[in-house]
Amino acid sequence: MEENLKWLWAAFSVAWALHLVYVYTLGSREKTLRDQVRDLKAQLEERDDSPLA
Amino acid sequence: MNREPAYSDALPVWLIAATGVAVLISMYLIFVWVPMESTMGVVQRIFYLHVGSAFVAFLGFIIGGVASIRYLATRRNRFDDLSVAANEVGLVFALVCLSMGSLWAKPIWGVYWAWDARLTTMLLLALIYVAYLILRESVVEATQRAVVCAVVSIFGMVDIPIVYMANQWWRTQHPAPVLSGEGSIDPSMRFVLYFTFFAMALVFWCLVRLRRRLEGLKREAEALRRAVHAV
Repeated sequence: MEENLKWLWAAFSVAWALHLVYVYTLGSREKTLRDQVRDLKAQLEERDDSPLA
Repeated sequence: MNREPAYSDALPVWLIAATGVAVLISMYLIFVWVPMESTMGVVQRIFYLHVGSAFVAFLGFIIGGVASIRYLATRRNRFDDLSVAANEVGLVFALVCLSMGSLWAKPIWGVYWAWDARLTTMLLLALIYVAYLILRESVVEATQRAVVCAVVSIFGMVDIPIVYMANQWWRTQHPAPVLSGEGSIDPSMRFVLYFTFFAMALVFWCLVRLRRRLEGLKREAEALRRAVHAV
């Protein structure tokens, strides 16, 4: 039985690790997109404020 | 006709709390409460999260497929967003199911993998959604991307009954269905399985909401990029 405990531990570790890695990728993708949106908004505002606008 | 969807920034506190509590209860039920299975011993406890993850993966792919059908019928972006979110999160659960099954098979069968009908069809189902995500990144034009991906998503959904029925249609090494009929599991085990499915469904819904928000941000970035490049 103790021999099989390592498989149980491994299976649950892999399951939760996959979830955590996925949540981490969601967070990093969201950060990248928020940065892009902020930069693009700044570019638009800059263009609207320029004397040529 | 394309309306821009707006998604709330934060997950509701009640959803996070309910998910956390349900996951903790399900872990307690799996590791402490449910009786030990007599043949396989402790390693059988993998079954609850393995099967629960498979059910949630199917749920995700069905939601993704139905949302794709609705997208094709209405061309509303919110259905495309829901489809990609449900399919991507469904794929995560399918990978959890496959990896846990593999780690159960090693001590029980002596091998990590067998080219058995159930395992192979489940792997093919996961690969359909890997292809779906690759396609999603490859097609540049938004409407074309949504239409092509909706078709693949519907195709993937149609594969689910084949995976589910595989161990009844073909002779397989995979255990036979244990939820009903002859040789079904103990009611306490069935309760733990259903509760784990419920807890995983809540995790699924949290992840879908986070992933859908990402799609809203992508759309906003694309619109801003168009505005910046338009002179």
